[in-house]
Amino acid sequence: MTSNLRHITDPLIQNNPITLQTLGICSALAVTTSLSTALVMSIALTVVLCLASALISLIRNHIPNVIRLIVQIIIIASLVIVIDEVLQAFAFEISRQLSIFVGLIVTNCLVLGRAEAFAMRNAVWPSMLDGLGNGIGYSLILIIVGSIRELLGAGSLLGYTVFISRADGGWFEPLGLMQLAPSAFFIIGLLIWAIRTHWTAQVAAPKFAIKTSRVPR
Amino acid sequence: MRLLVRSARNSLGGVTLAQATALVLPVVIVAQAQPSRYAILLVTALLSTLIWEAVFAALRKYPFSFHGLTTALIFVVMIPPTLPLWQLVLMLSLGVILGELIFGGRGYGFINPAVVALCLLVFSFPQVQLPPASQSLALAVVPGAVWLLLLGLISARVIAGTVLGIVGLMFLGGTGVHILTIGTALGFGLIFLICDPTGAAATNPGRWIYGVLAGGLIILFSGGQNPTADSVVFAAITASVFAPLIDHLVVLGHAKWRGVAHG
Repeated sequence: MTSNLRHITDPLIQNNPITLQTLGICSALAVTTSLSTALVMSIALTVVLCLASALISLIRNHIPNVIRLIVQIIIIASLVIVIDEVLQAFAFEISRQLSIFVGLIVTNCLVLGRAEAFAMRNAVWPSMLDGLGNGIGYSLILIIVGSIRELLGAGSLLGYTVFISRADGGWFEPLGLMQLAPSAFFIIGLLIWAIRTHWTAQVAAPKFAIKTSRVPR
Repeated sequence: MRLLVRSARNSLGGVTLAQATALVLPVVIVAQAQPSRYAILLVTALLSTLIWEAVFAALRKYPFSFHGLTTALIFVVMIPPTLPLWQLVLMLSLGVILGELIFGGRGYGFINPAVVALCLLVFSFPQVQLPPASQSLALAVVPGAVWLLLLGLISARVIAGTVLGIVGLMFLGGTGVHILTIGTALGFGLIFLICDPTGAAATNPGRWIYGVLAGGLIILFSGGQNPTADSVVFAAITASVFAPLIDHLVVLGHAKWRGVAHG
């Protein structure tokens, strides 16, 4: 059991899909302007990832190798359509805010990446756990980024006002930058910096080294 | 004189010193309108940049430098004097850390930290308006510009390229070209933001391309009219992002040309 549990705990920080593998950055930028959209996106992606990994692992010995990507995409796309319909039926407002990004889970590198790298070679239960772990790792970053952006950009969390803005007689001045996509880049970058400062094993080898040389005078 | 030039060029501290010298006159001209307010702004700006510099020097174990000095001076000249101090501290801290210290200090990054701080300021607080440059400020920049040109810290090619880009695009757009108005609006930003030695391209043909790109972007961002302070800042950061690519392509092109000619 402990060996299986590792599939869930590893992707949280040690092998986090966003901060170590830098997968799924696109949606992490787009849906994190508020915590509620980040949460819904996290849940949608985790469910898709879990089920897709399980299904692909289940039929992994029957998928012809040459068309495996097509089969994987068909499974993922079907699941995404189901999730999209569910969101439109039960959470229409959120689904409208997420716009195309639920649909784009199909092309999220994370889902296909786990299917290719893990589910195609492992049994159903570990594959599902791997999907769950990666989903949670992705969600963790999305929730952190979403919280920071909503708190600093609008002074609220999940739509509830935390800091009263200056326009309403409080002291808080919203940072417009936090509502723009670059701020998500900055926050993810700072997170990666912090994580790699603490877990130095994650530091990538530099592509170029600075040479010391003497300049002739 | 030659000795002075050489010693200033050969040490990083000398670069900062030379830039700071060139900045003294513009700072004085801007500050004379409200001396006490600008004194507060200057001290706060200097403290925030130099403290971060010290923190990073201690954390990364390299000798302390005064590079934050020029960042603070450029920032103070460009901002409106009414800017709340906490906004100044926040944006300058982010600019210095994200634009310079994170890469390992001055000379290791590719953008000017003052430009980063100004961009973040304008994006974060839409109500902040960068004041237009005055004619006296543009005049005060001239001695510093000559000084930096003499030292070889800024390139005449970048200046010429930028002016070419601006005048060319305005001419094509059919807008009247008033060199004096353009010079007034552009002077400070051109010398200290666009020509910044870390932000600009470093190959000679690259400097022309970088200059024309920056000049064209300025006119694009100001909507075909005379340059505004915002447009100069955003053009500077965009052109700086492209500068390494321009240099890379110039070097590749040069290697190819050499290969054809002598290979």
